Amino acid sequence: MTAEHTVLLEGVTKRFGDHEAVRELSLLVPRGSIYGLLGPNGAGKTTTLRMIMNIIVPDDGTITMFGLPRTGRDLSERIGYMPEERGLYRKMKVRDLLVFLAETKGMARNAARIEAGQWLERLGLGEWQDKKVDALSKGMQQKVQFISTVLHRPALIILDEAFAGLDPVNAQVVKDTVVRLAREGTTILFSTHIMEQAEKLCTAVCIIARGRKVVDGPLGEVRRAHGGRHVVVAVEQGVGSAERVLRDRSLIAKTDEYGQYAELELAPGADAQRVLAALLEAGARVTRFEIAEPTLHKIFIDNVGAEAASVPAHQGDARG
Amino acid sequence: MAKIWVVIRREFVERVRTRWFIISTVLGPLLMIAFVAVPLLLARKGAEERVIVVVDATSAGFGRRLAGTLDQAAPLRATWLPTPVTQIEAASDSLALLIGAKALDGFVIVSDEAVDDGRIEYRGSNVSSPRDMQILSALIEEAVFTERLGRAGVDAGVVRQAKIPLQLRTFKVAGARTTASSGEGSFILAYVIWLLLYMGILLYGVNVMGSVVEEKSTRIVEVLISSLRPFELLAGKILGVGGVGLFQFAIWGVCGAALVDRRELLLRLLGQSVTGGAMPAFPEVPLATVIVFLLFFLLGYFLYAAMFAAVGAMTGSEAEARQAANVVVMLLVLPSVLMIGILNDPDGTLAITLSLVPFTSPIAMPVRWAAAEVPLRELGASLGFLGMALVAVTWVAGRIYRVGILMYGKRPGLGELARWVRTA
Repeated sequence: MTAEHTVLLEGVTKRFGDHEAVRELSLLVPRGSIYGLLGPNGAGKTTTLRMIMNIIVPDDGTITMFGLPRTGRDLSERIGYMPEERGLYRKMKVRDLLVFLAETKGMARNAARIEAGQWLERLGLGEWQDKKVDALSKGMQQKVQFISTVLHRPALIILDEAFAGLDPVNAQVVKDTVVRLAREGTTILFSTHIMEQAEKLCTAVCIIARGRKVVDGPLGEVRRAHGGRHVVVAVEQGVGSAERVLRDRSLIAKTDEYGQYAELELAPGADAQRVLAALLEAGARVTRFEIAEPTLHKIFIDNVGAEAASVPAHQGDARG
Repeated sequence: MAKIWVVIRREFVERVRTRWFIISTVLGPLLMIAFVAVPLLLARKGAEERVIVVVDATSAGFGRRLAGTLDQAAPLRATWLPTPVTQIEAASDSLALLIGAKALDGFVIVSDEAVDDGRIEYRGSNVSSPRDMQILSALIEEAVFTERLGRAGVDAGVVRQAKIPLQLRTFKVAGARTTASSGEGSFILAYVIWLLLYMGILLYGVNVMGSVVEEKSTRIVEVLISSLRPFELLAGKILGVGGVGLFQFAIWGVCGAALVDRRELLLRLLGQSVTGGAMPAFPEVPLATVIVFLLFFLLGYFLYAAMFAAVGAMTGSEAEARQAANVVVMLLVLPSVLMIGILNDPDGTLAITLSLVPFTSPIAMPVRWAAAEVPLRELGASLGFLGMALVAVTWVAGRIYRVGILMYGKRPGLGELARWVRTA
């Protein structure tokens, strides 16, 4: 557990027949990070996570976990994996089921019994522990599913489309728990196609499209690398007073005026600081000057184009 | 590998707890008794009484004696109707009316010549029943036989003496030792063994398939194989369900042995007299037979469970799986269809072949073993072939399982399956 990177992928490729689901993907998940694997449906997220879990084997490349040349299943006592397709044994009692799943991950039976009870209490399912899964509502089953993922105190939690299909209350519970676990030092790797969600949670991201990496790194770096081209400006007496500066095509490529303020897109090679200086020189009294960070969504669209954000037609059945 | 135990325990405990297990454990033996006893009872007791008339055109009173003989026999009520030869057709017509009105089942016409040339006529509504005709002709034959001896001047006492029926008692010789088992007893034992093996392998095999389909259709399988190797999951499942089968057999075995031990007490409680002869013949079950039974049950169950698991893995729903499983079930049904052939000639070519071929041997070999003396080298060869088939089938089934449990969508064709086996 001393490795700096909890998960390390190098040149990983996976083909299904003629379809290349993942191509030469390299990424690293720093220890203790909340890492978002982002991309539209069919981008190869699930395939990537399944390869990390050793459910399917890559055709090429290497996967290193916790600094060890082994993959998910061998280290299942350290990993909590919640697949996109979820299910439980419907006829089992809730606590028995949790104990069984924890045992398959190498947790001792007694410890599992105790902690399952505690988790069920914590998430408001204390009264249901001796009921059959069948008797639970869909939302309760989702909580049970989540408990089964974290019960054995994994050092790495992998959530495939964790929030898809969760009702808002449970989504909140899961988010709060994930954040708490991350604060306690657990590494979180989750996939989502909802960029706004990743923006709020992640410390690092990797965006993939059609099986290929578009961009990755710590969230701040990714934004900085793709940002700084947009400036929001407001001046006293309206932006009209700074008209001469805003028309200067050597500084500003595009202006989007809103009356009270304007959104500027800097010209290639232009520096935001020079725009500010020019405004002051022109005698404008600047009340707001903000270098806007681009959203992940915008970064994604800018890099792969809107067309790539849609699902490719030949997407395989279980190969998302 | 310790994780296999976790899977075995879950499969075992979750099944033994179900109502299905309790009901099948209690009802199983009752059904079994019904299966064995009903055909025997039917064969022995037969249907209702037949009402017949003896149209007697003889002069020496043979018709009257025949009517008496027939009337004494349990399934018949016979009335004597003396008729002049000239009136036979008229009597026949009116009796036919009675048969039409279902007041009568049939009538026998005897004349003086009948005793000499053995030509006797029976007209009735039940002539197509082989059983009825067999009884009737045996009784008439006996009466004619007695009559002929009497005419030949043989003393009536001598005839009575000669008619004491033969009782053939049969004992099975096993391992050069005469056992207490009667022939009927070892037939029943073979029958019970067949029923247990067939039902056991089929029910528990289908159970494994259901379990695979459940895990696949609820999608819990992906969580499971993120911490278990597919083989661990499959092996644990098969062993756990098989454990339930052995547990159930053990319950039946212990209860059955206890009942047989106390059968005198039980019969007395049921108000039956317990004289030595009235004691029902219970087949002796030697330890070797129990071992052969368990060995073939386990190997046969493993073989079929692996195939059923593969079928479950390549389909998506219980209904679809049951349909696809028909091919596997056919293999299992084959020795059952040919059971009578095996029992009639346990050392014949058919019996020997079926008990050596791996897919039929799990049922055919123990049945043969119970019915006749099987050379040890044949038993060994049968086990050897079964073992080899088990390894090969498990290898293929394991690969289909591994790929299949993560595949959704339409059922794969044979070519697709072959690709799974190659690439898994």
